[in-house]
Amino acid sequence: MVPRRPAFVPDGERAFDLFGRFAGEAHIRKGKDRMAGPQDLNALADRAVADIAACADDAALEAARIRYLGRKDGEVTQATKQIATLPAKDKPAYGAAVNEAKARIEAALRSRNAALHDASIDSTLREREDLTLPGRPVRIGRLHPVTATIREVSRIFGTMGFETIEGPEIETDYYNFEALNIPPGHPAREKWDTLWVSNPLGDDPKLPLLGRTHTSPMQVRVMEKRQPPIRVVIPGRCYRYEATDAIHESILHQYEGLAIDEKLTMADLKGVLYSFARQVFGSKSNVRFRPDYFPFTEPSAEIAFSCVICDGKDPHCHTCGGDGWIEAAGCGMVHPDVLRRVGYDPDRYQGFAFGGGIERLAMVISGTPDIRLFAQNDLRFLESF
Amino acid sequence: MLIRVPLSWLREYVDVTVSADDLAHRLHMAGTESKGIERRAWDKIWVGRIAELAKHPDADKLQLATVEYGEGRRKTVVTGATNLKLGAIVAYGEVGAEYLEGHTGERMVMKPKDMRGIKSEGMVMSEKELGIGEDHDGILLLDPKLPVGAPLSEALGETVLLLELQPNRPDCLGILGIAREVSALLETQLREPERADLGRQAPKALDVRIEDTDACRRFAVARLDGVRIGPSPEWMQRRLVAAGMRPISNVVDITNYVMLELGQPLHAYDLRDIRGGALVARQARPGERIRTLDGVDRSLPNGTLVIADEERALGIAGIMGGEDSEIRGDTTTVALECASFEPRAIGRTATRLDMRGSSGSAAARRFAWELSSDLVPIALARAVALLRDHAGAKLAGTVDRYPRPRPRTLVRMPYGLVRKVLGIDIARDEAIHILERLGFSGCTIERDILLAQPPVERTDIAIPHDLIEEIARIAGYDRLPARVPDGPLPLIETHPLEEFRERLRDALLELGLQETVSYSLIDPQWLGRLTPDATPIAPEPLRIQNPTTASQSVARPTLRASVLDTARRNLRHRGGVALFEIAPVYLPRKADLPDERWTAAIVLAGSAQPDSWLGPGRDADLWDLKSVVSGALAKLRVGAVGEVQSGAPGLHPGRSERRGSADRDVMTWGQLDPRVADLWELPAATFVAELDVASLHGRVAPPRVVAPPRYPAAMRDLAIVLDEPTAYAAVEEAIRAAGKALVESVSLLDVYRGPQVGPGKKSFAVRLVLRSSDGTLSEADVDRAARRIEGRLLHQLGATLRT
Repeated sequence: MVPRRPAFVPDGERAFDLFGRFAGEAHIRKGKDRMAGPQDLNALADRAVADIAACADDAALEAARIRYLGRKDGEVTQATKQIATLPAKDKPAYGAAVNEAKARIEAALRSRNAALHDASIDSTLREREDLTLPGRPVRIGRLHPVTATIREVSRIFGTMGFETIEGPEIETDYYNFEALNIPPGHPAREKWDTLWVSNPLGDDPKLPLLGRTHTSPMQVRVMEKRQPPIRVVIPGRCYRYEATDAIHESILHQYEGLAIDEKLTMADLKGVLYSFARQVFGSKSNVRFRPDYFPFTEPSAEIAFSCVICDGKDPHCHTCGGDGWIEAAGCGMVHPDVLRRVGYDPDRYQGFAFGGGIERLAMVISGTPDIRLFAQNDLRFLESF
Repeated sequence: MLIRVPLSWLREYVDVTVSADDLAHRLHMAGTESKGIERRAWDKIWVGRIAELAKHPDADKLQLATVEYGEGRRKTVVTGATNLKLGAIVAYGEVGAEYLEGHTGERMVMKPKDMRGIKSEGMVMSEKELGIGEDHDGILLLDPKLPVGAPLSEALGETVLLLELQPNRPDCLGILGIAREVSALLETQLREPERADLGRQAPKALDVRIEDTDACRRFAVARLDGVRIGPSPEWMQRRLVAAGMRPISNVVDITNYVMLELGQPLHAYDLRDIRGGALVARQARPGERIRTLDGVDRSLPNGTLVIADEERALGIAGIMGGEDSEIRGDTTTVALECASFEPRAIGRTATRLDMRGSSGSAAARRFAWELSSDLVPIALARAVALLRDHAGAKLAGTVDRYPRPRPRTLVRMPYGLVRKVLGIDIARDEAIHILERLGFSGCTIERDILLAQPPVERTDIAIPHDLIEEIARIAGYDRLPARVPDGPLPLIETHPLEEFRERLRDALLELGLQETVSYSLIDPQWLGRLTPDATPIAPEPLRIQNPTTASQSVARPTLRASVLDTARRNLRHRGGVALFEIAPVYLPRKADLPDERWTAAIVLAGSAQPDSWLGPGRDADLWDLKSVVSGALAKLRVGAVGEVQSGAPGLHPGRSERRGSADRDVMTWGQLDPRVADLWELPAATFVAELDVASLHGRVAPPRVVAPPRYPAAMRDLAIVLDEPTAYAAVEEAIRAAGKALVESVSLLDVYRGPQVGPGKKSFAVRLVLRSSDGTLSEADVDRAARRIEGRLLHQLGATLRT
């Protein structure tokens, strides 16, 4: 809407109509050409006040203003000009009459302007809109739940002093396996069925490439580059040679945590993951550790979070399978051989590592029933987040 | 590996003082993962005997079987089974019994049925109907010695723990190993099964030779004479079945039984088939072949260890025996092999021969783990005892070659390490008690050093941390407190590129685009569909050597195919898409890891705005894409994005642009080549952009903070006529060059082509906002600037003013 300008413009300024256009002087009526006295001015003022009071809108009001007070041809202006033609004795009385007439007209203009303004507001306030009508269509972009979960994981571990870093998805056998105590032929390799990668620029038999099966190779890369204390969390994509179903994907995301110091214990590991669970699932949530096996941690544990969906009360719960616990991640104290291999003295330094699935976490948080939905990118699914 | 542990079998070695559920839970919480409990129990199903058998009067294929299932309890059922004989012992289900429908496997409740005029009261049941197997060809014939009239649950019932083992615990491959865990957890006594004395006498006409002592660590053989082949005892058969194996004959069943009991596979040969009187562990010869017990002729790959006699290979070591030395019905002399192999070689060979999986070789799956060589004499002695008792065998000597005996491990752990690692104290008495219950020997603490020797079956214990885990897991991980760590925090590094990438993500979200995350491995055929003539737009991709599916067999070198696919699939059910993905593309590098280059890909197609009561909708166009791209770049303060490079393959030649340097694209955007759009079943008006995140990040301009202007601006509109090829950018550039610092903004109000300007010409209407930071511009100032600008447009671009 065009901003309203005041219909009454003080003398000396140009006149604009309601729409801001210059009203011009063409509309201004000529004054009458005869001698006049104070009584005429009184009559003029009476007529003007009545005229103004009858103005129904801003445009009429402006026309009335110009008619009476117009700088060039306004009736009062004309009357003012006649002062010069009067005998000196009449001048003071006439001048006072002019001023009084002018003051009365200006007051009438102000008052009528205010009344019109009030009336317009009143009329606006009487309008009733159907607020159930839809607004203009807008496009709303949302983060993919995998990205949102990665950010949330990074944020939460960030509050505990963990720095988020990233690393290569296409890895070497050394970092993915050997440096983590899983030499070729080790039976534990069966846990991480591998997608092997071939380089079109030539395969180097000494540098077999693979899709990293977990984010754990970054443990080694970080320790090779940095000295303790270390606290990092590494989110990223991983690959498995695996048939997919509602809870398994061959291309998935994980988060890895690593903390190395002189005094970090398994109780600290439990505390960090407990804090994480509370921040993700609320302060009522709990964690459970049970022994597990990973060649690169000793002792090792599997972490389960208490089931937020059923509180352990639904024997047929789809999320926890009825036992009240959701297996969420693997963890343990970094194996002394892994520390030794990166040049750390295992008698001095120790710490813990943990790793869990991003999609798995997103499924639990959001109640997503099938892990494959994340990569299908059906916008109807993504827009539900 | 999943193993089946029948509770009744486990109870032979250890008293189970808790319920099956509790036991499974205790094992689970101590590291042996429970995958569930299988219960074989039936209600209203009885052990019955076929007392009468008659033809159905009105149906050739049906019989009337009268089943007796206890004193005075007889019922007649109508059955189509052909394997029934008078006196056969069967499972009889009475009306009301639950069973699985033989074809569909659906759970049903038995109802009386009328079959061709004869009432059938209940049924005689197949393996499948009982839920204990897949066989539905005939009625399950039970052991004739089962007591008629007993509930089937008493006769055949079994509770089986399903346990998932981790590869560091080969000792648990045997039920005795699980019993050892149970004994530690429940503090009940472990009972070792009876074993024969193997003696020291070498057998006649049977020797053992290890040619490859790396691959074969230990090789023992017992000669057993006077063997009588027959079925194994009924209890043994039942246990084998419950544990998931099929009974064959006493000798074979005993080798399997010992494998399930101790984890150690054995193999029995008919001594008649061993030529030259010796078993040899050696590498397969080039071109050597063998027909294995499963009837498959196999050529043996290089590096395969075989067990041979002096003439030919008899079996693939640790994986599968050969057909021509197997135990036969008339076998009387058995050579029983018990050996220890290097696990990785076994694993490799089994993988190559495709015998590693759950349908492959049970022996190979076990030998691929680090089984203890000390199990060899133990398993052999156990098998000899069973063969003596159940196959009439007489031990006629043993040989045991063990060239490099494994030294017994003695772990020395400073006791303080328990607290240092776990963060809690565990009393020394308790720790020693736990280790002793687990079968560790010589457990003492001397001068704060705990000494312990693991049981011979355990190959996973070597360092102090291993002992800590043993102590902690039996004590219970629940005892660990949860504590927030203290100690020094590291200095935090910054990650400007990653932060920039996330800001780009946010910028695109703010512009209303939906983020997507798709598979990073794609179908290589997609890459051929990005240009009309299949010319690649990206370097040749890294290939997956062993893809799970062709549709995920290359690492994507571009995101374009992925976002087009996402758009295509979504446009099947919606009018328009506006989406993006930010992910690395994988660019191969010689003798190095690939370059994982973070890229943003955007696609707009179909409706950009739907019809609404406030106005008609419209489809996405090139300028929507330009707004998204330039909006995101403006938000991130990315300056110049590089020179225009010639050609943007796969995009419309006149409506696309590729920018960057000669060796690296920064940004490609425009309309998809409509021929490519066709290939993807996308609308002809599909718009894509690809941005190289690192390059954009390198072009971020530092913020130039300005205070709000103090003086008013002046506005001037300008209409100019130009030759068609002159780009708008040139106009704006000329205006800014001529107007210098006074030009605050230039906006294009209108583009006109038509009769008023004539052919080959176009007209731009532009609005200039002029402002000085030094003072209010006078009319004269504005006029002067406008004349300068007009003059520049005239001279530089040949423009004419339109009035």
